[in-house]
Amino acid sequence: MEVEKLLEEALKQKEVTRRTFLKMMAGLGLAGLAGSVGGCLRQHEVAAGGEGWLPYQYDVAGTWPAHVRGRVPIDPSNPSIMRDDRKCILCGQCLEICHRVQSVYGYYELPIRDDIVCINCGQCSLACPTGAIQERDDTEKVLKALKDPNKFVVVQTAPSIRVALGEEFGMPPGTWVTGKMVAALRRLGFHAVLDTNFAADLTIMEEATELIKRIKGELPGRPLPQFTSCSPGWVKFCEYFYPDLLPHVSSCKSPQQMFGATVKTYYAEKRGIDPRKIVSVSIMPCTAKKFEAQRPEMISARKYWEKKKGPDFAKDVTRDVDIVLTTRELAKLIKQAKIDFPRLPDEDFDPLMGKCTGGAIIFGASGGVMEAAIRTAYFFITGKEPPPQLLDLKPIRGLASVKEAAVDIPGAGTIRVAVCQGMAASRQVLDIVRAGKAPWHFVEFMACPGGCESGGGQPRSSVPQANEVRAKRTASLYAADARWVWRESHENPDILKVYQDFYGHPMSELAEELLHTHYTSRADKLKAIQPSEKEKPWEQYYPARLTPEI
Amino acid sequence: MKGVLVDITRCVGCGSCVVACKLYNNLPWSNAPHLGKDAVLTADNWTVVKEFDVSKGKESVWRFVKEQCFHCLEPACASACFAAAFRKTPEGPVIYNERVCVGCRYCMIACPFSIPKYEWQARFPRVQKCQMCFYRVKDGEMPACVSVCPAGALKFGDRDALLKEAKERIAQNPGRYVNHVYGEKEYGGTCWLYLSDVPFEQLGFRTHVSTESIPHVSERVTKWTLPVAGGWAAVLTALYLATKGSGGAEKSH
Repeated sequence: MEVEKLLEEALKQKEVTRRTFLKMMAGLGLAGLAGSVGGCLRQHEVAAGGEGWLPYQYDVAGTWPAHVRGRVPIDPSNPSIMRDDRKCILCGQCLEICHRVQSVYGYYELPIRDDIVCINCGQCSLACPTGAIQERDDTEKVLKALKDPNKFVVVQTAPSIRVALGEEFGMPPGTWVTGKMVAALRRLGFHAVLDTNFAADLTIMEEATELIKRIKGELPGRPLPQFTSCSPGWVKFCEYFYPDLLPHVSSCKSPQQMFGATVKTYYAEKRGIDPRKIVSVSIMPCTAKKFEAQRPEMISARKYWEKKKGPDFAKDVTRDVDIVLTTRELAKLIKQAKIDFPRLPDEDFDPLMGKCTGGAIIFGASGGVMEAAIRTAYFFITGKEPPPQLLDLKPIRGLASVKEAAVDIPGAGTIRVAVCQGMAASRQVLDIVRAGKAPWHFVEFMACPGGCESGGGQPRSSVPQANEVRAKRTASLYAADARWVWRESHENPDILKVYQDFYGHPMSELAEELLHTHYTSRADKLKAIQPSEKEKPWEQYYPARLTPEI
Repeated sequence: MKGVLVDITRCVGCGSCVVACKLYNNLPWSNAPHLGKDAVLTADNWTVVKEFDVSKGKESVWRFVKEQCFHCLEPACASACFAAAFRKTPEGPVIYNERVCVGCRYCMIACPFSIPKYEWQARFPRVQKCQMCFYRVKDGEMPACVSVCPAGALKFGDRDALLKEAKERIAQNPGRYVNHVYGEKEYGGTCWLYLSDVPFEQLGFRTHVSTESIPHVSERVTKWTLPVAGGWAAVLTALYLATKGSGGAEKSH
């Protein structure tokens, strides 16, 4: 008020003298000072906003789920899986799977070193109820390759895709859709549709030969029991937690990598295709296969061509397997292309690397690799076809976490085998081997419970993956094996041809170069914790069948 | 006074705490990264887990640091806020009331850890930061982030007890930790305490800082405001009175 009056007075006078100006400023200063003093004196009294105000905006518990338990760590650069944090509800299902079934999370000491320990199995993506954890999507890469007129895109499909892909299109689990799958891949524009099953037969030829050589003691430094090597999740698990047992692991590459190495060498030569133009795509039930394809040593075809045509030619030969898609990603591609999958006609694989045997088909189920290997090993040792009970080896089929069998092979005596699925359950067998008390000659390991048919890249037909779904897919694989023309890998005419024309014989020099590999200890990436003897957290999921006397 | 003890050696970098914060506080997901090397606190990211690739002896290791408001014992933001929109609660959390905030952002300048962030894009912007889930803490529950940590890297409790435990952990595990509990004395002490096995300065922490709280420091200067203002008024008055007479004489010239 005083200010206004002064101003009015000043205006009336139509002239601001120095005196009135100073008076005005002094008045303002006094008013400010009085206000400040008043405010300061009140400072220990009620604050602006009233006594004990509480910010109302935090009173609401947002979208807070009823049951929260955290989640597994995932490296943003993980080649296999990725997570959309926007979808995560912290339900903890990934932790359950990773800790209890795979015994990875929680089995290494903290602090961590320079790695987020992951065996890339992708089981967490099958357990995740909101789909926050997914495979790393590589479909764009495939579409780009298919559009490139200078590329020859070959595709291989793993044994277990054909009993699960239909589920993405409303068919019941276990529906056999090989013919439709081949037709869909042709319609997507792949230049050659080939079969990983061919490479599965190739794996059996190599792996059975290696087993016989180990039993005969012809491979120094490679002890018994021999471990299978087709599950890249298992291989990485062994590299992390049991690096001392790596000499037990078969040097055979997995079927995917055998296929990749063969397609850019043998297939390219046979068909007269420039290997530099080949883009090798694989359709896998597995997220760890994405990791496996990127392993630094998986460039055998490049090395082959380097020897043959020099480094200038070979530098443009890309990895043995360039792109890996999961079953789910293939379904996505088919849907994006608006292909009416259930109404597709049945078509056959392309020649040269398209035929397979029943032994290859059952690779898709836990116990299948073992059964196929026994069939062919029997033939290699005795020169005779295996008896009918070896074509239906019940003890190592099914969903028990650890299975065993003893097989009499004339000339080799009793061959004892074990089959493990799920890494937590596998530890009991691994610990027996580590203690030097293993009675077995050959042990199969599959990272995923159920084997490939229930791999981390398979359709999420039930979440988490139910044993009913697993059983139906497995049954479908064994039914196909039972009706197949050829049951044993060495009967595959394409296999006979590839050895005749290219590799010579199993474990030949060329086969060693293209079909075999080596492993790296990852012990420096973690300090492993050994679980206690009594703790068997996987048992609530998969009861073990390991006989107590062993 | 409650607090949280963060053991950096136990953090696996899963980011559960970040997701919990988003879910509990209903915060939108922005494009600003909330995990990894580029993670950054924003008005929507009240907490982030930042990755640091450091060397520990001969080893190269990855370490993850959960960043959020430290909840100072004597918060500078509350001291700087003339609207009293920030308040230190007896339970520990430093909380903010958007209804009395005038948007001057003094708090952002005052905070020695650069924690409060402004909603620059909003029509009626607020200052945002971690509230340490005040309503949960008030009811004796742990903050949302602590409740979901699967690795045991976060522990909620009385600050005094946590400080004691932190020192015990250092003493009982020789060689595991650096001999320092970050937050014990920094800027007068904070409710959030950190343990680490690599030096804190390598993990983005502000080290070599005052052990005195910011309000305590500013108090040393600001307490002179009244005497100085009063004294200045007295001086001016004295000058006025002394020169009053001569003014008249001037006029007569």
